[in-house]
Amino acid sequence: MYEFKVGRLARILGVHRNTVSNWIRSGRLDARPAPAKRYQIGEAALRRFCALNHIAEDRVLDHLTVLPEAAASLTPTVAARFSTTGREESMTQKTIGSVMVVGGGIAGIQATLDLADSGYFVYLVEKSAGIGGAMAQLDKTFPTNDCAM
Amino acid sequence: MTLSEVTGISGEAGDFRVSVKQNPRYIDMNRCIACGECAAKCPKKVDDEFNAGINKRRAAYIKYGQAVPLKYAIDAANCIYLARGKCRACEKFCPTDAIDFEDKEKNVDVNVGSVILAPGWSPFDPKGVDYLGCAESPDIVTSMEYERLLSASGPCMGHLKRPSDSREPKKIAWLQCVGSRNLNRCDNAYCSSVCCMYAIKQALVTAEHLEGDDLSQTVFYMDIRSHGKEFDRYFEKAQADGVNFVRARPHTIEPGKDGTGVTMRYTLDDGKVVVEDFDMAVLSVGLEASKDALSLADTFGIALDEFRFAQTSSFAPVASSREGVFVTGAFQAPKAIPRSVAEASAAAADAARLLTAAKGTLTRSKSYPREKDLAGQQPRVGVFVCSCGINIAGVVDVKEVVAYAEGLPHVVYAENNLFSCSADTQDLIAKRIEEHNLNRIVVAACTPRTHEPLFQDTLREAGLNAYLIEMANIRNQNAWVHQNAPEAATAKAKDQVRMAVAKAALDYPLARDAVPVTQKALVIGGGLAGMGAALNLADQGFEAVLLEKDARLGGNAWHLDTTPKGEPVRPMLEEMIQRTENHANIKVLKNAALKSATGSVGQFVSKIAVDGQTRAVTYGAAVLATGARESVPTEYGYGEDARILTHLEFDRKLREDAAQLGQAQSAVFIQCVGSREPNRPYCSRVCCTHTVKSAIHLKTLNPAMNVYVLYRDMRTYGLNEILYQKARDLGVIFIRYDVDQKPAVAIEGADLKVTVDDPIVQRPLKIDTDLLVLAAAIEPHASDELIALYKCGVNADGFLNEAHPKLRPVDMAVDGLFVAGLCNYPKPVDESIEQAKAAAARAATVLSQEAMQLDAIKSFVTDDCDGCALCLDVCPYRAIKLEEQATEGNGQVHKRIVTDKALCKGCGLCAATCPKGGVHVHGFTLDQLKAQVSAALVDVV
Repeated sequence: MYEFKVGRLARILGVHRNTVSNWIRSGRLDARPAPAKRYQIGEAALRRFCALNHIAEDRVLDHLTVLPEAAASLTPTVAARFSTTGREESMTQKTIGSVMVVGGGIAGIQATLDLADSGYFVYLVEKSAGIGGAMAQLDKTFPTNDCAM
Repeated sequence: MTLSEVTGISGEAGDFRVSVKQNPRYIDMNRCIACGECAAKCPKKVDDEFNAGINKRRAAYIKYGQAVPLKYAIDAANCIYLARGKCRACEKFCPTDAIDFEDKEKNVDVNVGSVILAPGWSPFDPKGVDYLGCAESPDIVTSMEYERLLSASGPCMGHLKRPSDSREPKKIAWLQCVGSRNLNRCDNAYCSSVCCMYAIKQALVTAEHLEGDDLSQTVFYMDIRSHGKEFDRYFEKAQADGVNFVRARPHTIEPGKDGTGVTMRYTLDDGKVVVEDFDMAVLSVGLEASKDALSLADTFGIALDEFRFAQTSSFAPVASSREGVFVTGAFQAPKAIPRSVAEASAAAADAARLLTAAKGTLTRSKSYPREKDLAGQQPRVGVFVCSCGINIAGVVDVKEVVAYAEGLPHVVYAENNLFSCSADTQDLIAKRIEEHNLNRIVVAACTPRTHEPLFQDTLREAGLNAYLIEMANIRNQNAWVHQNAPEAATAKAKDQVRMAVAKAALDYPLARDAVPVTQKALVIGGGLAGMGAALNLADQGFEAVLLEKDARLGGNAWHLDTTPKGEPVRPMLEEMIQRTENHANIKVLKNAALKSATGSVGQFVSKIAVDGQTRAVTYGAAVLATGARESVPTEYGYGEDARILTHLEFDRKLREDAAQLGQAQSAVFIQCVGSREPNRPYCSRVCCTHTVKSAIHLKTLNPAMNVYVLYRDMRTYGLNEILYQKARDLGVIFIRYDVDQKPAVAIEGADLKVTVDDPIVQRPLKIDTDLLVLAAAIEPHASDELIALYKCGVNADGFLNEAHPKLRPVDMAVDGLFVAGLCNYPKPVDESIEQAKAAAARAATVLSQEAMQLDAIKSFVTDDCDGCALCLDVCPYRAIKLEEQATEGNGQVHKRIVTDKALCKGCGLCAATCPKGGVHVHGFTLDQLKAQVSAALVDVV
C-alpha cells in the first residue's frame, strides 16, 4: 500500500494537481482518501495505472511513501469509515457522493436538506412546476393548528 | 429539477446512472421575475389542481403564491398557442422576455450514489362511489377541497363559503373512512392514519372561521384514531368545544330539499334511525398510494405491497427491495407529516451511510473577495428603489422616492430598478458599489425575510460586509396595503426609506463567529432506538459513546416476541447488540449514569459515572433515547391471579411455552388499561395492534379458542388494519366498552370471570376465561435529572418534547440535542428504528461541520453592565450567565453577565430589559434604533 498527497504525485508526473484529482475522481487512478489530505493506493492498482499510462514504474514507486499495513495507519474513525463492515459487500469500489431524491413534498425536501447539510450533492426531482407537495395545500396542521406553510 | 420525471436507472448501489426527462417550462427561469403579467394576460382558464379544482387558474401559472422556485410555467396541455398555434399573449406582455416557446423537452443523465423515493400519495377519489352523492350535490366536498376552502390562500381567501350558493355553512358533517377501511366499495382495506385527526382539526378550525351560537359540527366515525402525541388531548378539546362525535356510518346521502346542502340517514347504536339535514358534508378521503407508484416501482425495480405501497421490513423501514434505493413518506404507508419527516431523515441517514466514502466529494462552496476595510470612511449610502414590476410602481411614485432619497444625508447615489432582485440588477448593484465607492446599501423593495440573504450575497461579492444592507419594505407594508391611496403611499415610502438610510449610516461590519465542532456523539439509552442511532452514526464515520444504565443493551425489545409484520425480534436484536458492541466507532458504557452536562451545540462536555468511576466525554451532539416502560396495572385483578398477564408477560409466555397458551379454551384482552384515563390522558399507540396480533396468534395455536377483545376504539392505524380484519375473519370477537362502564373481573375460586356491557346486544355479557391479557399503558421514565442537565422540555405526560411537532420531530428545542424512541412517545419497533436513524441524520448535519457558522446578529455586553441579572430571566434560550470578574488594576471583584454566542438567537429581549444599556444586539443597537425612530418622527417632533 502506498500513500501520497495529490501535489506530490502531480510533481513527480509533471502534471497539474487538478489532473491528478480528476484521475482519482473518475476512478482512473484507483486511490482512496485517507486522513490529512492524503490518498492511499494498492501496489497492484498503482502498477496497473503506470502501465496503462506508459509511465515508468520506478519513477512513481520509488518516490511514494510505502505503508506496511494500511488499516493500521488509520485512526479508528477513519478505518471504520473506509472499511466495508456494515456496508454491502456487493458494492462497487466506486462510490458517487451524490443522491437523487424523487418527489418534492415534505418528505423529499427533508431528505434533501439533511443530505445537503451532511456533505452530499442532491438532485431533487419534482414532477410539477414547484415543490411543496400536499403539505403546501393544507391550511393548518394538527394538533397545534400551526399554519402548514 | 422541476417538471421532471425519472425514466430509467442503471448501475448499482453507490454508482447509479439515472435518466431524467425534464419537461419544458416555456418560461426561462433565469429571466422570470414572477411578476404575474403572463397569467394576467393569459386567456385560457383551467381548473386549479392546487386548489383541488375548486377555482380556475390560467395556462400560464404559478402553483401557489409562495411556490419554490417562484417562477411561472406554461401548462402545455392547456396553452392555446401550443395546442392551436395562435395567441402568444404572454410573450407580448412579459417585461423580461422570459417566455420561450422554443423550449424543448430535455433528457439528462445523472450519476448518483443512491436514490430516495418520496412520491407521496394521492387522495382517494370518491366520485365513482355513488352512495356518497358527491356527483349530486356541490355541497358534498372532499377533505382536500375543504382544506382549500378554509385556507387564507385558497379560493375563498379564508372566508368559508359553501360551493352551492356561497353562503356561510352553519351545520357541517364529516364522514370518516371514505376510501379507507372499506373493502366493499374501494379495495382499500387499510386505515389511512390521518383522517380522524384532520377531520377534528377541520372541525375546530371551522369554529374559528364562523361566528354565532347556531354552529354545529358532527363527525361520523367508526373508531376515533387519535393515537399520536397530544392527539387525544386535541380530540378531548374538540369534544369540550362542542364538536359532536357520532359512531355511525350514514348509509343514505342525498342533496337537500332545494338542491343545496345534504340530507343524511344513519342508524345509531340502539337501532334508532335518524334523518338529519346539514348545510355541507365533508368526505374524509383516505390516502392512496401515489398515482406514480406503479410506474416508479417498475422503473426502479422495487417491490410494492398489495395496496401499491413500497414494501419494507420493520427493522429497515426505509430500505426498498433494491439496494441503494430508499423509500420514505406516504409512499411507504399512509402516515402523517411528523412520521414522513422523520422517515425522510432516516432515508437520508441510510443513504449517507452507504456513501460515506464519497462524502464531500461533489459539494461545492462559493468563494468571495476579501472584504474592504472601511475604517475611517464616512458612510456612503446607495439607495435602490424597486418597482417590482407594477407591484410597487403601480401605487407608489418610485421616481419621486428616488429623487427624495438623493437628498437624504449620507446618500451619494439612488436609482430605480424594475426588479431589484433580478440577476442583472444584482450585477448592476455590484457595479454601482464599485463606481460610487458605496459602503452602505438600502434596498427599498419587499421583505428581508425572503430577500435579504440575496442582497447580502451581492454585497459580499462586491467586497462589502454582508451586514451593511438595510431593507425598506415598501411593497408588503406599503403598496399592497395602500392601493387606494397612492399619494399617502408615496409619502410613506419616503418615510420608510428615510428610516432605513438613518439606520444604514450607523451599520457597521459584523463578523460571523464559528464554534468548533467535536465530531463525536453521545447517545443516551441502549435500547433499539439508542443502538440504531449509534450504529448509523458510527457507520457514517462518527464516533459514538453509548450510555446504558443497565448491565445489558436491548431494553424493552428483549421482551417482545414478533413485530406486527410477524418478524421475530430476538435474532435482529442480538445481531444489533453484537454489531454495536464490536463497532470500532462505538464505545459502549454499561451501568452508566449521566452526571453533568455543560456547553452547547458542537461542544458539549459531560461527566459519566460508570461502576463508581467518573469520566468526562466531549461531544458535538447528543441523541436522547432513554425509553419508557410498561406500567403496572392497578385494576382488573392484576397481580392476584397467574392467568392475568400484561402484554410483555404474554409475549414472554408465548416464547417460552406457546403450547400451554394454546390449551386455553377462552382468552380475553382488555384494552386501554391505564391509557386514555385522567392520570394518563394519552393513547399508548402500540397496544391495539399488539392485541390483534396476539389474538391471531392464539387463534392459530388453537382455532377452537374463544378470543374476546374488549376495547374503546380500535386503533390499528395504517396497514395494521389488515391484522384487525384478519382477526375478525378468524372469529375473534370484538366488544366495545365505555370508559364509565369498564369491564369487571371476578376471581371466584378456580374461575376467572369477565363481565362487560355489550352495546350491540344491549345487555351485559359474562365470559369465563382461562387467560386475561391487559393492554397496560406505556409510561415514561422519570426524566427530571435529564431535564435539569440539558434544560430540555417534556410534555405534561413526561415524554421528551421535540422542537416542532410536525417539521422537527426528532430535534429538541436545545440545539444539538435529538430525541428518538419511546422517551418521545409510545411507538412500535419500526417507528423507533426510523426515529433513531432520523436522529442520527440530524445529528450528522451538526457533526459534518468542522465549525458551526453562527449568525452575526448576537447580543454583546458593554462596560455598563452592573450585573443586576434582570436579563437572565427573560432570555428564552438561557444564553446568559452571571459571572464574577476582577477589574483590571485594582483587582476588585464585580459581577457581570456573559452571553453564549452559540445559544443566543439575537432576539433582543435582554437589550429591551436592561435598565443600564449593559447589553445590546449587534445590528440593532440602541443608537441604530434611535436613529431610525428619530427619522420616523422627524416631521412630528
